[in-house]
Amino acid sequence: MSVRLATAVGALELANPVLAASGTFGYGLDLLEFCPPEAIGAVVTKGLSPRPRRGNPTPRIVETAAGMINAIGLQNIGAEAFCRDALPELRARGAVVVVNVFGERMEEYLEVIARCEREEGLAGYELNVSCPNVSAGGIEFGHDPAPLEKLTALCRAATRRQLWVKLSPNAPDLVATARAAVAGGADALTLINTLRAMAIDAVARRPVLANGCGGLSGPAVKPIALRMVWEVHKALPGVPLVGIGGIETGRDAAEFLLAGASAVQVGTAIFRDPAAPLRIAAELERFCAEHGAGAAADLVGGLQWR
Amino acid sequence: MIARRDLAVRVAERASLSPTCFRLVLETPGEISAHPGQFGMVACGSSFDPLLRRALSLAGVTRRAGATRVEMMIKEVGRGTALLRALAPGAELRLLAPLGNGFDLAPVEGARLGLVAGGIGLPPVLFAAERLAGAGVAFDMYVGAATASEVLELERCRAAAAQAGGELVVTTDDGGAGEPGFVTAALERRMDGGRRYGRLLACGPNPMLAALTRLARERAVPAELSLEEPMACGVGVCLGCVVELADGRYVASCEEGPVFAVERLAQRWWP
Repeated sequence: MSVRLATAVGALELANPVLAASGTFGYGLDLLEFCPPEAIGAVVTKGLSPRPRRGNPTPRIVETAAGMINAIGLQNIGAEAFCRDALPELRARGAVVVVNVFGERMEEYLEVIARCEREEGLAGYELNVSCPNVSAGGIEFGHDPAPLEKLTALCRAATRRQLWVKLSPNAPDLVATARAAVAGGADALTLINTLRAMAIDAVARRPVLANGCGGLSGPAVKPIALRMVWEVHKALPGVPLVGIGGIETGRDAAEFLLAGASAVQVGTAIFRDPAAPLRIAAELERFCAEHGAGAAADLVGGLQWR
Repeated sequence: MIARRDLAVRVAERASLSPTCFRLVLETPGEISAHPGQFGMVACGSSFDPLLRRALSLAGVTRRAGATRVEMMIKEVGRGTALLRALAPGAELRLLAPLGNGFDLAPVEGARLGLVAGGIGLPPVLFAAERLAGAGVAFDMYVGAATASEVLELERCRAAAAQAGGELVVTTDDGGAGEPGFVTAALERRMDGGRRYGRLLACGPNPMLAALTRLARERAVPAELSLEEPMACGVGVCLGCVVELADGRYVASCEEGPVFAVERLAQRWWP
């Protein structure tokens, strides 16, 4: 039985529903030997700011039970270097590219989008309003519906491309932030970003990370991410969702589709297996074939509720 | 650059080297090569705990009977390394290798190289020593350990130094074997006595690398350090393993390192 993996997130058509998540796949060209960007559903770039960012002091990462905590601090090469050095090859390869956008102020998001709007060959933008690591930064947009709606509306006015908003699981009211992003004009919502977390060295009596706290990712967060995708899907059934959080296998991806996601992003799994997005897409295809789904899209929102 | 690959490997050999350290030899049917100072990411099992692969220096890569053998020397420090120690010969696992840059092994006109290892910093230094000895490049080798029982691979170190026409200097912190005290002190005594080195290559604990950096800078000897940072991916995308450079930039040690020339490093490396 042949399975159709091709799918769409809103108006964006994708050859398969497995994407590489921001911050785990570089700028799309870093893992060519293992996972060429044109072979996966889409590449979401490392978060880009208008100018290069140095990132946080070290240690930046720590492994925890079935997960890891990171506080990278949005180290990135900046929008200009991305457009100049990476985008031409991504375009030549035919990769579907979503630029993850980050700013410390609303104007900085608009600067990144304005720079990228001068380029061809980009599918859209994903607003990072939920990184918990930069104290001066995006966190207030992601937690508070009113500024989130305003930021989304400003970005909406700046582009006709696809506009995704990546939601924070740390917001006090997830559905309220989801509604705000949609009210501001988001085409789709990505959820979830990392959960604010901490590791402590009891002998040294200090936090392990130089930043103190960071964001938890990996299989440990998957049940929370599934619950959040399902809650937002229930509240906003017409809004396309991109599910992310601890996806390691094709079966994990199927669970997110059933909860209501139209596509999924693979993040921390890439650190264990640099070919993870390809492997997970193949496993999802097999899962569909073995369980009577002719198309991956048939699973979307298909959760049977007693 | 030698291409990075995610290899299916089999445990060919596992042997105890000391009360805390063991050798793991992984075999793959493919042909791979590596440069001393490069490393691999080894999956410790298929479960999610531990989640990440472990970054381990390569101690040697040899071709034998149609297979490539990749040797590692590992100190058991936690769950991941304990799982690796428990692997039986024949066990299958994944090895992402070779990664990183490696040491500069070019000979220096008129001076030997100085190879310096502390504790479990030995594997890349021994790999370099055996490669240099085979190429006829002269070096002295300094091997430091906490105690006599933690001196690893003494006979191989001796053989490599002898083949290179150099001296092997062993030190232990407690004086149980070789010269008492730190390995960098033994190096400094010989440099005080007029021994000149064209380049120092080192791997070991950070205090040892800091002492070596101060010495190298005082004496204006080029030096390269193999650094260890917590690492998630090993392939340049997580940006967890960054090292701060003198120009203020953070660079991924899995790609621009793990070997760094001391003059590139930020001052915090020699406090």
